[in-house]
Amino acid sequence: MIADRIIEQGTLSTQDGRTAVEVRIPWYRALPGSCIAGAALTVDGVSAPQDSLRWTMNNRTFSFDELVDETGEWWFPLDSAVLSGDLPLADQQAEHAVRVDLKLYIPYIITDHGVLHIEEHDTKTMKVAQR
Amino acid sequence: MTSLGTPIQGVTLYSFTRAFHGRQYDLDGLIRKVADEGFGPGLEVIGFSSLRGFPDRIDDNFVGQFRDLVAEVDLVPTSLAVNVDTGIRRDRLMNHDELVEYMRKQIEVAARLGFPIARVQISLTPDAMESLLPVAEKYGVTLALEVHADQHGAHERVLALRDRYEKLNSPLLGFTADWGATVTGFAPSLLEAYRRRGASEELLGQVVDLWNGFYAEGPPNTQKVHGERFGAFIGLAARNGRPDLGIDFAINGTGLFGPAPLETWLEIMPWVRHVHGKFFGIDETGEEPSVPVRSLVRQLVENGYSGAISSEYEGWHWNNWQDPFDIIRGEQAVQRSAAANAGSAMITDATEARRVLNSHLAQPVRG
Repeated sequence: MIADRIIEQGTLSTQDGRTAVEVRIPWYRALPGSCIAGAALTVDGVSAPQDSLRWTMNNRTFSFDELVDETGEWWFPLDSAVLSGDLPLADQQAEHAVRVDLKLYIPYIITDHGVLHIEEHDTKTMKVAQR
Repeated sequence: MTSLGTPIQGVTLYSFTRAFHGRQYDLDGLIRKVADEGFGPGLEVIGFSSLRGFPDRIDDNFVGQFRDLVAEVDLVPTSLAVNVDTGIRRDRLMNHDELVEYMRKQIEVAARLGFPIARVQISLTPDAMESLLPVAEKYGVTLALEVHADQHGAHERVLALRDRYEKLNSPLLGFTADWGATVTGFAPSLLEAYRRRGASEELLGQVVDLWNGFYAEGPPNTQKVHGERFGAFIGLAARNGRPDLGIDFAINGTGLFGPAPLETWLEIMPWVRHVHGKFFGIDETGEEPSVPVRSLVRQLVENGYSGAISSEYEGWHWNNWQDPFDIIRGEQAVQRSAAANAGSAMITDATEARRVLNSHLAQPVRG
């Protein structure tokens, strides 16, 4: 697993109360939307509300409810997805502690307790990227 | 008496996951690097790792480029690793018909790209393999089900597959033997990684002792025993105040370092069509400290195996301080030395590899 690469350094952005960061898959192979089971976006200890989170990959944007049935769009290991949520950032010049949590299902590993899922997180410090 | 085998040297791009994921090499560049380094001639690729849009959006243009590149650099496609994603839906597992179609699409891509083998996985039951035989026949692709820790050559699920293969008597159904099933120690490089995460020597000693105890007991022959061992690693971490390491200990201790004896491979040896030369590191003496590479190569040679061995370096999960290309170079040197010591040689010439692989497998691929 490659959890230290989940957050792409220098990709924090914020506009009109929404904050976003680019994320990489911490796994060796592509997974479909249906296996991206949950996420959290936290900046300076404040988490975006779960129902405000959106996931953008392959130029399409999904709520996490919509990802549940999405077996057509895949997160390829070389591609950055974008995780965004309602999270106003007061001081855009400051360094921010960004944390992303991800829950992924591994669809080919079926255990006695169901399909294996992994929970990974990454934390990086960065300023808001200048446009 | 069985004549000595001549295994074909090769590598899976999975070994270089960290470099590919880190965008140091694109697919084209990584294949050229493999050829330049002499890590072939055998080339194995994981469809869902290396091929964007796999399997539904692999167009003829890409197929042509891939085949041209492989021909240009004189590598020999051996196995396309495909996945049995039974759990792709959240509401239920795939049904039988869905699974067959899901696998068919991937096997078709293997044929189009020129891979004579599709590596499939343990979730396929004997009935599923029987249903996939017409697919294998249609595309001329050998289905080699991977025997991977926590299973092994003498595991009940593997023996059930073997017995069905024997009944069906098709050369297109076989196994991929993954050396991770027959490991002799907890990988020292992983212990070093835990050390770097603050694990105490006391805790690491207990992890090694626990694994060595399972090794002494022998491999898990049932899923129940596997589950108990998985839980034992989690409990050990919790008792030592490091519950954060528990799942990691358990996944690696049971799923990567399988404790089966080498002899278990003999149960399925006639059906072994492909080998994953799984390993975790090369030490300062130039040897693999936890996978008995020399004995495994000797066993293959003495049993007449002349298919490919894809060197599969898995230490990349935790080892971010050593160069995977150096490590592959070291492991393949051990393999060549071991084959020579067994009175044979690894095939490193591409022309020879094509000839040997064609006779090892039932028939050439129809792409």
